[in-house]
Amino acid sequence: MGRKIDDLFSGLGRIMNGFIVCFLAVPLIVTAVMAFDARSYLGPLPPPALSTRWFSKFFSDDYFLRGLGVSLELALITVCFSVCIGVITAVALARSNSRARELMTTLFLSPLIVPPVVTGFAILIFLSKLGVVNGFARLLCGHLIITIPYTIRATLNGVLGIDKSLTEAALTLGARERHAFWDITFPLARTGIICGGIFAFVVSLDDVAISIMLTDAKTYTLPVALVSSMRANFDLTLAAVSVLLMGLTLALILVLEKTVGLNQVIGQGTFR
Amino acid sequence: MDRIVEFHDVVKRFGQTMAVGGVTFSVASGETVSLLGPSGCGKTTTLRLISGFEEPDEGTIRIAGESMKGKRPYERNVGLLFQHYALFPHMTVAENIGYGLKYRGWPKAEIPARVAEMLRLVQLQGFEPRRPPTMSGGQQQRVALARVLATSPKLVLLDEPLSALDAKLREELRLELKQILSAVGSTTIVVTHDQDEAMSLADRIIVMNRGCIEQEGTPDEIYAEPRTSFVAGFIGRANWFCGRLGKGPDGAFVTLTTEAGSTLRMRAPQKIDDGKWRACVRPERMILTRPDAKSDGRSDNLVSGNLVDIVSLGGEIHYVVEGADGRLLAVEPNRGGPRVNKGERVGLSFQPEDCVAFPLAEA
Repeated sequence: MGRKIDDLFSGLGRIMNGFIVCFLAVPLIVTAVMAFDARSYLGPLPPPALSTRWFSKFFSDDYFLRGLGVSLELALITVCFSVCIGVITAVALARSNSRARELMTTLFLSPLIVPPVVTGFAILIFLSKLGVVNGFARLLCGHLIITIPYTIRATLNGVLGIDKSLTEAALTLGARERHAFWDITFPLARTGIICGGIFAFVVSLDDVAISIMLTDAKTYTLPVALVSSMRANFDLTLAAVSVLLMGLTLALILVLEKTVGLNQVIGQGTFR
Repeated sequence: MDRIVEFHDVVKRFGQTMAVGGVTFSVASGETVSLLGPSGCGKTTTLRLISGFEEPDEGTIRIAGESMKGKRPYERNVGLLFQHYALFPHMTVAENIGYGLKYRGWPKAEIPARVAEMLRLVQLQGFEPRRPPTMSGGQQQRVALARVLATSPKLVLLDEPLSALDAKLREELRLELKQILSAVGSTTIVVTHDQDEAMSLADRIIVMNRGCIEQEGTPDEIYAEPRTSFVAGFIGRANWFCGRLGKGPDGAFVTLTTEAGSTLRMRAPQKIDDGKWRACVRPERMILTRPDAKSDGRSDNLVSGNLVDIVSLGGEIHYVVEGADGRLLAVEPNRGGPRVNKGERVGLSFQPEDCVAFPLAEA
């Protein structure tokens, strides 16, 4: 009897997993199919003919291309700053005692808990009081706030995995603290740092909620451009852009997999 | 003789706990000294004070005559061999050994030759391009030692140097470590909780307990003449007798009347009081005899009991005797198997010179 119940539950578990995979994957597949739909209206699936017209429309639309340019520039600059700040903070956190570390980590992760709209609005008000009206600077501020928790977290994981005695050994061998950082901590935490950077890039590229508050007439990100164009005149360009973004994210994940995976093959991994 | 390390009344507290409570000792040039004690006795803190990872709250530390107050680890020229080696996993063996040379200002061109020389010293010629994670524990240990010795530090600190290795390898490496250390003539402090390690490596042992030095002396002195019951119990095995002391027939010896009623003669301690005392006898000094062997005219102590267990450890035999004074252990070299059968009644005789008494209140 007991065995039957166990079997029943493990069967249910499997069915549940199947549902979840479908729930996650089906909308993406539908979007991908729609992006290649040749019709100019939203018709029933499957589409009778395929074309790349929505992609060409996207690449000939100045409004979108401008958004894409701002998004990429913003994401790259955000990653640079966010990684630097994340690494410095993570190293400091790793050196403090464990209670202080937990408290500070929680504090630094709090931007993830505050609703992004609230954060965006707060930054908008705060910066306008300070007299910062430049759209790009505002966006950069907002994106740093939402990406830093990821870079801190990922780098901290990497740094905490390094045996403290390695740094101490470097010091007894005559290296100063800054030498020990570049010789030991930085290369050994590299995997964590790269992870954090890629996370920051993806988060920055995808954000709508904060960015929508901080854009101005000329500086807007791609996701913001998509949202406003969806309101104005809805067509399948949106699906085409979604496919492009999915492709970019997938590529980044593959890069991540490759760096981490390759490291493990060489036997250097995360050194844990 | 030159003193390389001088500790004067050094105190280190962590919050409420006193890790090192007023420690004074010195290490002479070329000497190997062991800091021996159980975990939490302050030996690791002492090591970290010498290497500069901790600053003393009180007292002074001098290395080669120079005060170490405010000196960072990299300003001290003290080599530290870590318990788990702390080799840099992302660097080759050559880069590991050359690391200290680079920062201690060796000319770049001379580093490869020095690395090769150090690898020869630890018998790992040709291991330069290997990476530490691909090597065995013993090999990593040697690389770590080569890395420490490469810069010829004034002082070498070894933190539990052999504890991460298995028993057989430990034996081999202990001999080799001793040879290498004496070959380079370095002044060495070995921090360990393992008395075998301390006794075999060190010229002098400093036994620590609860942040203080219990006794200092050569390995033989510490073993034969423990000054406190802690030292007697921590170094080697001991049989204990509890009771009260009384004056002996002559000044040099006293008698201990145990709770079970046996009367034992032993060396007189410096002061005698009416309190309870514990006496310690090494198992090797206990001789297994017949239970009525008293009549040979000598003044040896004799206790009797039943032989409850015989443990043959190959080289030596342990006899466990259960008598009125509790469970006692006698250890004899194995010369063709046990002399007595299990369950028989036996006597254990030992000489008064081999008994050391301590006031019980101390323990």
